[in-house]
Amino acid sequence: MTRWFEDITLDEAFPLGSHHFTEAEIIRFGQLYDPQYFHVDPEAARHSHFGGLVASGWHTVSVGHRHMVDALFAEEDRLRGEGKEPGVSGPSPGVNKMQFKAPVRPGDTVTYTLTVTGKRPSNSIPGWGLLFNTLEAVNQHGELVYHAELVGFSKLRDYRMPIGLRLYLALTRLPVLGKVLAKRTG
Amino acid sequence: MNPITENRRHYEDLVEGETIDLGRIAVSKEMITGFAREFDPFPFHLDEAAAKASLLGGLASSGWQTAALTLRMLGDTFLTRIASMGGLGFSDLKWKKPVMVDDTITGTATIAALRRSRHHPERGIVTVDLDVRNQRGEPVMTMRLANLVELRDPSLPLVEGENP
Repeated sequence: MTRWFEDITLDEAFPLGSHHFTEAEIIRFGQLYDPQYFHVDPEAARHSHFGGLVASGWHTVSVGHRHMVDALFAEEDRLRGEGKEPGVSGPSPGVNKMQFKAPVRPGDTVTYTLTVTGKRPSNSIPGWGLLFNTLEAVNQHGELVYHAELVGFSKLRDYRMPIGLRLYLALTRLPVLGKVLAKRTG
Repeated sequence: MNPITENRRHYEDLVEGETIDLGRIAVSKEMITGFAREFDPFPFHLDEAAAKASLLGGLASSGWQTAALTLRMLGDTFLTRIASMGGLGFSDLKWKKPVMVDDTITGTATIAALRRSRHHPERGIVTVDLDVRNQRGEPVMTMRLANLVELRDPSLPLVEGENP
């Protein structure tokens, strides 16, 4: 998936792999970030409507993000292996939607899949594009664990900076004029 | 009655418009690289030089770490003090500005809406708007979160028009 923006195909499902959740790691994440009793205390959790310990939704999501990053690196290696220059992924501006659908319990195995559903050049950052991604996590029973609609930056390969912008950037690199321009644009 | 949550605030005790001060967390370089190694190992979250060359302009936390730390603040100040039944999800999460090394994040949570679950009379849904800022008061992240909360009295009739 670290392809250039132009090479990214829509509606193709990328398998991101699976993760097995242990009780110890569910409790550890809970203690650090989400210390509600059903995420950190197996005994107390029996009184909750979950009936036992469950992972914080943010834990399953963070693990899903890790799988996505690993898949990007793997694709980068694959492209280099073919003698091609890989594209560049940027940070994410946000998440449009995240729905936690089924709890993750100790011993569950969660499988993640990413689909790019849309893309367009960024209006605010020249030379970059926006990718609209759907990430879905499913447990070993085939139940949907979460559905996410994420946005990510991806660098354009074929971008040619407009001449005016190129001239402006060159001027901002001059010692005196650059300072004046930086002040003006604040 | 759930013995774990019986003395906590329930759905009936929450008020629309109520604002919760989230407190503050200072974000160190070790916290940023520690989280990144486990969940978000992009070079711009791990390496100073790579971060300077990236869109972030310097070593900054993973957006998911900013979210997780915000959740921690919301847990300490709100979710562990109400009869929470877990999160339903969130929407419109916007990472507005990167959290850089040694920034302190702070913010507020506002109860934006309260409604009963249509299918489970013992459950209410609280919608919370989060506004997270850095030590200069600049917006860092905003999002809208939906969380389930127990009713003290599930026999309370659903009010007409309560669940639009």
